[in-house]
Amino acid sequence: MAEVATESRTLSGPGPGGRRPRTKGVSEKGLGRLFVTPAIGLMVLVALFPVIYAFVVSLRAYTGRQYEGFAGFENYSEALNDDKFWASLQFTFTFTVISVGAEFIIGLGFALLMNQAFRGRGITRAAILVPWVIPTVIAAQMWFFMFNVNPGFINSALGLGEFNWLGESGWVKFAVIFADVWKTAPFVALLLLAGLQTIPTDVYESARVDGANAWQRFWHITLPLLRPAIFVALLFRTIEALRVYDLPQVMTGGAFDTESLSMVVQQYVVKTPDPGLGSALSTITFTIILGIGVIFVSLLGRELVIGRKDQ
Amino acid sequence: MGRTKILGKWMLAAAAGSLVVAAACTPSSDDEGSSDGGGELTWAIGGAEAQPGGVDQKIAKLWNQQNPDNPITIETLPDEADQQREQQANVLQAESDEFDILGMDVIWTGEYSQNGWLESLDDVRDQIEPSVLEGAFDSAQWGGELWAAPFNTNAGFLYYRTDLIDQPPTTWDQLCQMAEQAGQKNGIGGLIGQGRKYEGFVVNWLEYYWSAGGELYNEDNSEVLFDPDIATQTTEFMQQAMDDGCFAPGFNTATEEEARAAFQTGKAVFMRNWPYAYQLIQDEGDPEVANNFDIAPLPTFSGQGTISALGGFNNAVSAYSSNKDAAKEFVVWASTDPEVQKMLATDASVPPVLTSVYDELQNEPDMALLSKVLPDAKPRPPAPTWNTISVEMQDALFPAYNGDGDPADASQSVADAFNESVE
Amino acid sequence: MSATTAGTGRSRRRSRGAVESSTSARTWGKTALLAVIFLWCLFPFFWLIMTSFKVQGALNSANLFDGPFGLANYRNVFNQDFHLNLRNSLVIATMTTILCVVIGSLAAYAIARLPLKRKILLLTGVLAVSLFPPVALVPPLYELWRTLGLLNTYEGLYIPYTSFTLPLTIFILTTFFAAIPKELEEAAKMDGASPFKTFYRVILPLAAPGVFAAAIIIFVSAWNEFLLANTFAPRDPEVAQTVPVAISLFTGAVDFQRPIGSITAACVVVTIPMIIVALAFQKRIIAGLTAGSLKG
Repeated sequence: MAEVATESRTLSGPGPGGRRPRTKGVSEKGLGRLFVTPAIGLMVLVALFPVIYAFVVSLRAYTGRQYEGFAGFENYSEALNDDKFWASLQFTFTFTVISVGAEFIIGLGFALLMNQAFRGRGITRAAILVPWVIPTVIAAQMWFFMFNVNPGFINSALGLGEFNWLGESGWVKFAVIFADVWKTAPFVALLLLAGLQTIPTDVYESARVDGANAWQRFWHITLPLLRPAIFVALLFRTIEALRVYDLPQVMTGGAFDTESLSMVVQQYVVKTPDPGLGSALSTITFTIILGIGVIFVSLLGRELVIGRKDQ
Repeated sequence: MGRTKILGKWMLAAAAGSLVVAAACTPSSDDEGSSDGGGELTWAIGGAEAQPGGVDQKIAKLWNQQNPDNPITIETLPDEADQQREQQANVLQAESDEFDILGMDVIWTGEYSQNGWLESLDDVRDQIEPSVLEGAFDSAQWGGELWAAPFNTNAGFLYYRTDLIDQPPTTWDQLCQMAEQAGQKNGIGGLIGQGRKYEGFVVNWLEYYWSAGGELYNEDNSEVLFDPDIATQTTEFMQQAMDDGCFAPGFNTATEEEARAAFQTGKAVFMRNWPYAYQLIQDEGDPEVANNFDIAPLPTFSGQGTISALGGFNNAVSAYSSNKDAAKEFVVWASTDPEVQKMLATDASVPPVLTSVYDELQNEPDMALLSKVLPDAKPRPPAPTWNTISVEMQDALFPAYNGDGDPADASQSVADAFNESVE
Repeated sequence: MSATTAGTGRSRRRSRGAVESSTSARTWGKTALLAVIFLWCLFPFFWLIMTSFKVQGALNSANLFDGPFGLANYRNVFNQDFHLNLRNSLVIATMTTILCVVIGSLAAYAIARLPLKRKILLLTGVLAVSLFPPVALVPPLYELWRTLGLLNTYEGLYIPYTSFTLPLTIFILTTFFAAIPKELEEAAKMDGASPFKTFYRVILPLAAPGVFAAAIIIFVSAWNEFLLANTFAPRDPEVAQTVPVAISLFTGAVDFQRPIGSITAACVVVTIPMIIVALAFQKRIIAGLTAGSLKG
């Protein structure tokens, strides 16, 4: 609300907040609503309905696929009492933190590199995007094939004999995280690269003239001005990582505590269907992820709506 | 002025947009899916043989020649059983007549019948029962009623290297001894099976469990006979085998294909796998393996007899089919027609269910072994809760045999799951 | 590392003499770094390509260069009407991208610039849409789609794709719109331009890097999406079956056999056009500010 007032004051000078006499007909506020309507409309229509449906279903009891009656919150207590749920939560969190952290660092490095002017940069940029472009299921199978003891691709490349990457607790997690970082660091790089474009070069010029070295320029200019792009990249990567499914499913089948939240949900919706429990788990998952998303948005998202104040 | 211009631009954009959308509309096609009147049949089945060129297609063609009034087309489902089930479930839950005949994994019978998705085949029981294998026939029954017609079956073999050992073992302990000795001598692994955390692991584990004398249910699946002590011994055996090298490296991440790949590139002395690998090893395997391997029945703990898990597929008639009579005829025919069943064996190396075919093809080593092994092959109970039990078994027993949990506790969890299933 | 495009030339020239000795070390370092990056990114893809050319038993060997080699896998792939799948995926992904960018940029502009109440709430709501586990959304959507006759259609796929990709699009585009200095808009408005013209002539070109980045992301996400495509259009390449679904349906010659050869061949066929698209788009992402209006 405060942001709205500030905006209209800077843009239209003193005057009634919101109404802009300059544009005939549609007011800015109305225009704003008009612009947002198609997006909201589409999302509500397609996404809201199933969410509500799933929530309603989560309040019912089922035996297998047969509807048995109203269950209230029984499904939720069953889900929260399930060891499997907590184990998958732990793995999913660990996976997310490590994965997104690594992707951010590597992605930032890639973005900075891709931004440089050097010969062959086009090919380098394309090369960096390749991992992300490959469908996840294929990438998962590929990494399974490479990590697995038979035929032992990575083992023979590194001379490790018969090391059972995917069959040892701990190393399995490493393999899954490694595959994920390989696959999605380019996504982060892409977003950060686009973000780097919005930083005007004369800012660097004046800093250079003032005697700042490369590291200082990076730390005091690049990073702060990149904040919005970093925010978007981190937010969406975190959300995606919390919902990881294909990689652990294909590489490990959930063995050695690598079962993710989505895999547990999938199990109760498809493999051993119990619509009530599956929907309850989905709603719980959704709430957790939403909570994390809200934290992100409120901590870092202010800038999106206020805009950049400095140059 | 500004307003009309804006509006004008918007109209233009909207017009352009709708043109693009119109161009991007789905191409129309002839097969609209659920038009099933007029005696046509749709057979929803997945797997390699359902693809063009596969034996299922040939069977469909044969039927069409003999039954021009009720032509059948195959709706090809995905390769993996779980995905096939999902796609069938989508159609069946919608009570659509899109599928008339369902190709079902042997463990789905109870679930499908409980959901009311299947048409009872009790009235054609007598046409099927006398001529097909007993184990296969049992897998098509649930609650005393016949719900499907067996189509093909499957049983586990022991593959072994004839250049590395002289005689196939008759007990598991013997196998482990041979595996470790021969393996160490040649620098390769011992036994490779299916030990990854999935249904195949449950199949392997059950083969050990059953061969130790364990049972799951009684005759009519009303009573649980699961023995936690035998289960603990079984799991401890597997744990031991992992530790001292009886199991080849990669045992606990392998499915059927990884096992075959390991064996046929000479990385293991023994392999537990389905009959499909027999021909493939000869065609694709490293020469030293392809020329020096053979098949044998799986060993037991006592050395007496043999046990293997029963796999396979059955054909059922959808309860929502608009052509049930013809569908019933088809499933009976696919089950009992000698030409069809023989085609399965000769064209696709898929074990048939018709007993007479085994007599006919005695000279093929894999068919001969199958006829020896099949009478003792045990099915997993096609209970509606089987998937739940199987997942529980995977969750409890997989970590246990990898040294990540206590076998006794794991066995107790599994016993609890079984007991819950009859409550 | 510094991020520069045209600016460094001058200053580097000025100080070139002084730092000459360390430049070659720098170049070597950079080359080594590049080599490592190429290896890291491309080696698995190289594996994909090599495997796709292997036939028969060679597929199981750990050695990349073990023959025999051949085109059998590619032949296999195209025998299964794969070109139809490519067509389907192309149309669906393109439609999704167009719809998302158009609808999303409008919404993003409104959130970034126009007075709207409760923007944080709106953003959170937008975000929430993309959070629900898709696997649980599928059963009700499947029912609805079946009733509406949207199964096995293009619309049945690109409409939900747009809906589920809008949140990310809106977030990205809002970021870029918000980053454009307000002075430029004000200058344009001073000159009498309507909001629409301002948007079209000033904002959009400056936000181009973000728009193209968003476009690539939308396209690739829609192209690789599996769950909805597998449920809504599982079969029939002639109608709407997409590439990932088709690949998942590849089978070997016999049951249980996993056709890693065909899968990798299909993957190569699919990835190469995507790389071309990415190459084309990445230029536009960088092009951005050279439009000039910022410095002017």
